[in-house]
Amino acid sequence: MEAISQLIVPNPYLAILLFVAVSVGLAAALQAVPFLTHPMRRSKEKISAYESGFEAFDTARRTFDVRFYLVAILFIIFDLEVAFLFPWAMVLQDISWFGFGSMMLFLTVLTIGFVYEWRQGALEWE
Amino acid sequence: MLPDLIFALFATGILVGAGLIIAARNPMLGMLGMLVTFINAAGLFILFGAEFLGLLLIMVYLGAIAVMFLFVLMTIDLEFFKLREKPKAYLPLGLLTVAVLAGEFILAANYGLFSTNVTMLPTGEQPQNIIQIGNVLFTTYVLPFQLSGLVLLTAMVGAIVLTHRPRSDVKRQSITKQVLRTKEEGLTMTKPKLGHGTGTNVAKHWKPKSVAK
Repeated sequence: MEAISQLIVPNPYLAILLFVAVSVGLAAALQAVPFLTHPMRRSKEKISAYESGFEAFDTARRTFDVRFYLVAILFIIFDLEVAFLFPWAMVLQDISWFGFGSMMLFLTVLTIGFVYEWRQGALEWE
Repeated sequence: MLPDLIFALFATGILVGAGLIIAARNPMLGMLGMLVTFINAAGLFILFGAEFLGLLLIMVYLGAIAVMFLFVLMTIDLEFFKLREKPKAYLPLGLLTVAVLAGEFILAANYGLFSTNVTMLPTGEQPQNIIQIGNVLFTTYVLPFQLSGLVLLTAMVGAIVLTHRPRSDVKRQSITKQVLRTKEEGLTMTKPKLGHGTGTNVAKHWKPKSVAK
């Protein structure tokens, strides 16, 4: 079984590439076929924004509360922290106590920031 | 042959995405172009054997940075036509950027950084990219690693200082207060007679709309 799969797919990433190619091709085909085969008669009502049957109240480009940005940037920071944890977990056996300690120091620094934002109430939505 | 074709595919994707970023009149469409660029760059990373970096690009850039760009686009007031009023005003800055970038590329080419002699497609024989990174990042390059931690801390504190405005006009839940409530302050035992009520005059204090949030 394994020999056959090696024969067909010499590199595991080729399977993913094939998957991507099929999904892109299918998506493109699903867009293209109606575009080519169906009649297009545009009218004002057809191309205007559909807002649950109401007239649209306002443009969609309204300004947001800046709190969304704060949540996003805090998410990125912890996302990066996790990104550093992946290689650390993979090589933990080889990097001795020094590597372990360096990650603990890194985590301590970020935990200080975490405690700060918690005490500031930045995690509360209100 | 096949790796060259895949490279051409991803490189074309990057160019198309980058072109869309500049050409799109609608910033949201430009954002979509950025996503296309990131995905194709991740594909190139994987093609050159840097699997971990490629997946990290998808996780961090597509998952987090792209969302943040969307929020930034939404928090600022988008007046896209203002940019087009004086396009020539941006010309010197643009030319300067192009000149610096071109100089960097020429320097890099002179040092042989654009060698075509690179291994393509991870074969599973060489040690994994994630292990190669991990072996040096936490020991040899411990100082840059710790500095990156400090940069993240600064970004966190900076974001909170700049954007967090504690509001005093909203009622908040205090979990400590709720948990530390004793039986004595929260509960009154009475023995009402039948048809006389509790006698503690609840109705006087009770207001229909004062339900705490």
